[in-house]
Amino acid sequence: MKLHKLFFFIALVALFPSACQKDFLDRKPLIGSSEENFYRSEADAIAAVNAAYAPLQFEISPAGHFRWIWGDIMSDDAIKGGSGDNDANELLQLETFRGPSNTGNLESEWSADFEGIYRANVVLERVPAIEMNATLKTRILGEAHFIRAWFFYNLVTMFGGVPLADHLLAPSEYNLPRAEASQVWALIESDLKTAALSVPPRSGYAQEDLGRITKGTAQALLAKSYLWQKRWAEAEAVANEVIQSNEYQLVTDYAAIFTQAGENNAESVFEIQYMNASGGNWGKNNANEGTFTPVFQRARGQFDGYGFNIPTEDFVQEFFKEGFEDPRLKSTVFRVGDAMGDRGIFTKEATGGISYDYYPKKYFTFKNEDAPFGDPNPNGGTNDRVIRFSDVLLMHAEAAAQNGNEAGALTSLNRVRARARGNAANILPDINASGQTLIDAIYRERRIELGLEGHRFFDLVRTGRAQAVLGPLGYVDGTHNLFPVPQSQVQATNGAIRQNPGYN
Amino acid sequence: MKSFLSIILLLIAFSMAAQIPLKGLITDAANGEPLIGATVALKGASLGTITDFNGSFQLEAPGEDAILVVSYTGYLPMEILVGKQRAFNVTLQENASVLDEVVVVGYGSQKRSSISGAVSSINSSEITQTPVLRTEQALQGRVAGVAVAQNSGSPGSALTVRVRGTSSIGSSDPLYIVDGIPVAGLDFLNPNDIETINILKDGASAAIYGARGGNGVVLITTKSGTQNQSGKISYDAYYGSQSPWKTANLLSAREYAIISNEAHVAAGVIPLPEFSNPDALGVGTDWLGAIFKDAPMSSHQISVNGGGEKSTYALSGNVFNQNGIVGGDKAAFKRYTVRASGSNAIKEWLNIGTNISFTSLTRNGLPENNEFVTPLVRALNMDPVTPVRKSNGTYAYSRYSDTDITNPLNAIEQTYDSWHSDRVVGLVYGELNLTNDLSFRSAYSIDATFAKQDIFYPTFDLSNDPVLSDAPAGEKRAVNSVVLNNNIWKNWQWENVLNWHKTIAKRHDLSLTAGTSTSENHHDYNGGANTNLPSNDPKDAYISNTIDPIASQSAYGGADESAWQSFFGRANYTLDNKYLLSASFRADGSSKFGKNNRFGYFPSVSAGWIVSHEDFWKEGLVNFLKIRASWGQNGNDQIGNYGYTTVVYSGQNYTFGPTQVITNGSVALTSANPDLKWETIEQTDFGVDAECWDGRVSFTGDYYIKNTLDMLYAAPIPLTPGTAAPVTNVASVSNKGLELSAAYRNRDGAFKYSIGGNIAFVKNKVTSLGTGGEPIYAGRVQSANSDVTKTEVGQPIGSFFGYVTDGIFQNQQEVEIAAFQNENTAPGDIRFKDLNGDGTITSADQTYIGNPSPDFNYGMTLDCAYKGFDLGVFLQGTQGNDLYNATVRYDFNYVNRPVSVLNRWTGSGTSNFEPRVNLLDPNQNARVSDRFVENGAYLRLKTVQLGYALPKSMLKKMKFEKFRVYISAQNLFTFTKYSGMDPEIGAYGGALNAGVDRGFYPQARVLLGGVNVTF
Repeated sequence: MKLHKLFFFIALVALFPSACQKDFLDRKPLIGSSEENFYRSEADAIAAVNAAYAPLQFEISPAGHFRWIWGDIMSDDAIKGGSGDNDANELLQLETFRGPSNTGNLESEWSADFEGIYRANVVLERVPAIEMNATLKTRILGEAHFIRAWFFYNLVTMFGGVPLADHLLAPSEYNLPRAEASQVWALIESDLKTAALSVPPRSGYAQEDLGRITKGTAQALLAKSYLWQKRWAEAEAVANEVIQSNEYQLVTDYAAIFTQAGENNAESVFEIQYMNASGGNWGKNNANEGTFTPVFQRARGQFDGYGFNIPTEDFVQEFFKEGFEDPRLKSTVFRVGDAMGDRGIFTKEATGGISYDYYPKKYFTFKNEDAPFGDPNPNGGTNDRVIRFSDVLLMHAEAAAQNGNEAGALTSLNRVRARARGNAANILPDINASGQTLIDAIYRERRIELGLEGHRFFDLVRTGRAQAVLGPLGYVDGTHNLFPVPQSQVQATNGAIRQNPGYN
Repeated sequence: MKSFLSIILLLIAFSMAAQIPLKGLITDAANGEPLIGATVALKGASLGTITDFNGSFQLEAPGEDAILVVSYTGYLPMEILVGKQRAFNVTLQENASVLDEVVVVGYGSQKRSSISGAVSSINSSEITQTPVLRTEQALQGRVAGVAVAQNSGSPGSALTVRVRGTSSIGSSDPLYIVDGIPVAGLDFLNPNDIETINILKDGASAAIYGARGGNGVVLITTKSGTQNQSGKISYDAYYGSQSPWKTANLLSAREYAIISNEAHVAAGVIPLPEFSNPDALGVGTDWLGAIFKDAPMSSHQISVNGGGEKSTYALSGNVFNQNGIVGGDKAAFKRYTVRASGSNAIKEWLNIGTNISFTSLTRNGLPENNEFVTPLVRALNMDPVTPVRKSNGTYAYSRYSDTDITNPLNAIEQTYDSWHSDRVVGLVYGELNLTNDLSFRSAYSIDATFAKQDIFYPTFDLSNDPVLSDAPAGEKRAVNSVVLNNNIWKNWQWENVLNWHKTIAKRHDLSLTAGTSTSENHHDYNGGANTNLPSNDPKDAYISNTIDPIASQSAYGGADESAWQSFFGRANYTLDNKYLLSASFRADGSSKFGKNNRFGYFPSVSAGWIVSHEDFWKEGLVNFLKIRASWGQNGNDQIGNYGYTTVVYSGQNYTFGPTQVITNGSVALTSANPDLKWETIEQTDFGVDAECWDGRVSFTGDYYIKNTLDMLYAAPIPLTPGTAAPVTNVASVSNKGLELSAAYRNRDGAFKYSIGGNIAFVKNKVTSLGTGGEPIYAGRVQSANSDVTKTEVGQPIGSFFGYVTDGIFQNQQEVEIAAFQNENTAPGDIRFKDLNGDGTITSADQTYIGNPSPDFNYGMTLDCAYKGFDLGVFLQGTQGNDLYNATVRYDFNYVNRPVSVLNRWTGSGTSNFEPRVNLLDPNQNARVSDRFVENGAYLRLKTVQLGYALPKSMLKKMKFEKFRVYISAQNLFTFTKYSGMDPEIGAYGGALNAGVDRGFYPQARVLLGGVNVTF
């Protein structure tokens, strides 16, 4: 081999090490941070808890799991609607209690709940080690406790006992079996108590934090949890604390609650925030800040909606049972001839194809409230009013009545009726009843006051009235008080997660 | 140096006594045409000459005992003793045998006869016989074991290419190497530039590509110049017209109204009043006829190549245009390609070269193969009552169709989606002859793509009354918007290879290869969108022209990268030209895998025995017989870049504050798998190659077992942990197959012909899906709102899964005695089989109802030539595969239907297949069932080409070397039982969606004429 060739060869070979440094193959993600570099600062802690709030907004991946599907369509207040039986046929099967256990709707609910629990657990496990302002840290952990409790609350009220993911699960724990419902309730109670002690009251937050979990939010959900468990004394006490805190008042005009201006108003105890200007699309979990509820609930045709959650005649008639038209009906349902702002006057012809007599109104949005850019459908801006102060008052009334504090019950109940009455003197008189009559009056008030806000089905089950009311629709107590666990989860855990009785 | 050489030559000349001047003419034995550029040399001497334009040569021989060696590519060489002869008329026989052809294998080349692996080749004439846009199309049906299916007939759409079956639930795409450069996709490549394609099918051949070779390797070599050849200029062009060859038979307006009325009555709904007199509606609109239009396709190419004593060059330029038969220029593909290659022996010991191509392509895209927004699914489902246009000439909207089903012509017109990419793929190399036996090659290559996608959503409104704005949401858009996506891919690779080759004692032929490969891929992306352009002209569609506030603008950007570091080696040993042994090894390091498994090691061995070279072999009918066996391990690393680490992403936002401010949230969505590694694909191959009758008949057969172990799969985990499943190496798949190909070539007389065929059987089976082994349900179809494929251990990947139909209930009694379906089941509904016999039809009564993978693929060719005429016929098909026809949107009430609904059940005994119509379909007759599974087998006359080349005598006067004109037809006939528009449906959306027809963009029938001129 001649020297010049060798020289050239060596020169080429010598280039080689310079091209491949030691860490040539060690590539870190360019987008996002690897976990070991995150959870180090106050900003990271805030970002972590914000990410736990995000699943509150989840509602459609892969199928809808809106609160109003479970609370209203499943109940006697509304039927599915849509373009016909084949439009989201699974919902038709569910609401007639022939429900398949493998619906995307149920799986989506289950998935969003556990994703929220995971994110809350991330906060609870990673944030304590961060060096930061102690008060803020306590608040963030409190918010995470609430969020975890909220998602477990959804799960336990829909499915009963579920896997108790109270920490970040290792792969060996993925097949966690279902805990008893009582264990889930215990975790919810302890989380909500911790949250109530850790987060400030509504007035203790800065303006820019409006929408975060408050002490009142935690206590109100705790009150509801006690009602589910028929722990009347504790329910009455904690509901009373919310009332006595003076953090919340009923707004004067019932109709104003459901307008854009009515968002986060004085009676808002827990509201899931949505906005119309985040430009989101139909992607996974519509990972943006908008809601689909308005487009799903608006009438088809001229109103550019999908026409779901159609109020029943029975529900509408409830508003007439005292011998007058309850003024809250106008804010709850719209009917033929109603002028719906810039969307025009509602006629049946305008819906094209299948049309109904009534449509839900609480989440109705006007054209001028459509997203200013992007696809308006996934970008509804209406907040989801999950717990209003009137709900707290009625919870208090129910618990007090069960405890025998009928005076207290009547005060709270009549506060709700008085607001609804407004200046119209000859309607909605104060109730002065006792015993079961009082309790029934409170139940009826809930149906009207909170109509089409996603409560009815759960109220019926919680108060043991479901068999009587929903029996004609196919409801069988002992089976349909719980939804079927998504069959995929039974399969994915090789049966470690058991199906609820009566479903296969 | 030069003068020194001259002196030597002079000395030699003087030392020789008298040189004998010789001359001669070399012609083709078959047709007497002169052979231009044939080599005439003296045996044992390095000097020689080549024949001129007339096929004649002149040479001086040292003596009468000298031997002339006459050779020409593709012809059998000839040796002639000079003797007393001074003028030679030599006729060369064309060589029918392919054994001497040189086959490119990874990092080297080998003679076909000495290969012990399974390697198939396609040459340039086969590639260009069917004029196509993408090179993958040219592979279809040509090679046993390479199955190709169109993902869409839209020009430029990617194809599904499977070498020896579907080896992964993830990507089963083979590795494409063009001139040594690994490339993603072949749409940038002009098929006319290709000299050969070699496909490494078995594990042993592909193992030299290690972690990326598991799905087979397609090695493409582009055309280069030839040494000592005067420059040739070629012009190749064709122009053709594409047209649909089949449409679906749908209801006329009259029939539609009859069915609609009946469906309403059955559901207890009052029929639409305007349908009260169906006869008055007449035929109505043929939506399919309205969207299909003949479309042109053309290609023009100029290429120049040649070479001197020490250098070669090749240049080419090509312009390709194809419009779509649906959408015309909205589905157009335009491509400009320039390629330049050259090599130069700058030193006796150093050869340098380059091969660079630049491609600029634009592809306009319409949505493809989904049930929601494609022109096809809209045309198939749009009611025939609605006219295309209103009386004022503007597009009409339907009063009946729902959500997705909008006026397809308007939707096409409102689509502005254009992908433009500029791509440079090229390399420079140096080859260093260190000693006579040892050479070294270093090559640096780049593959850089600069791509942008422009999307414009104009405003439009099909309303009859602009004030009422009565059109449904899908038929109007009040605010226009513009979207821009940019992508830059920059990949480089540097490879260094040492080659040593020596023949020892004339018996032992040994070659050794060792090398390194280093590469890095970097991808940058960014884009944005905004709404409200003052102009509705797509030419003005730029984000900066929008008038909405900057706050409404969305923007994104990011990057990812990966790197490889590899070492490889191979030894080939041949003893006595009878016994072949080969072994290779590659170590691949990839940044995609965690530290725990950063390097993978991929060994292979293969052996062959050329039985016919044994002394005991009697020369007879079989002149060549080789049996071979190989074993090798490869990898498949086609997964995301950072699966081994947990990544916390921002953007999981929530809004706070009275003005609802979007506030950042960050969380990891997927748990990591630090043990992540490549898929190991292990393959054993047994093969035989034979030639009979002096190479006129050739045969190759292979049987293989290909097991994908550690298949990369995000095995579903329960939802309980709250994170998405990580990709893990848990599953396994097996493919077993038999491949046969045979050809008969007759080049003896003036009438030359060859016939060939290949067939490949493959059986695919999932052998594991991880610990739990939970089956995978996928392939959601909207018409049933349910998945159609199930992938389960023991079954082929992506099998169709659903209910089994058992005729139609003819009367109420039949409903009552059958298994319970639901309370509204009535006569006329489908009886589903109660497979588990529990008396109720539930999800447990579903079973496997079809397999989208064929039992076998086949191809057949017939080529013949007589005088100047040539005829090529190419057929291709599949057998034993099923398709799922999901084109009818049964989830909507007012869609059109295939004419088969006219044979619906209307009373006892009227139909035992087509159920009654009912607006609400209470029995869910449209659920996933074998009712929608159809036989997907087809046989397609892919190409017929008839050409005529002017005779040499005439060309000589015209100073042409070649002048050929041809006419050609593609997809002239397709034999299939499939009721849809095209049975060739690939795996759009991946292996778990294969064979699902969601409104497939059918392939066109193409008639074209072309010309090949060389001078």
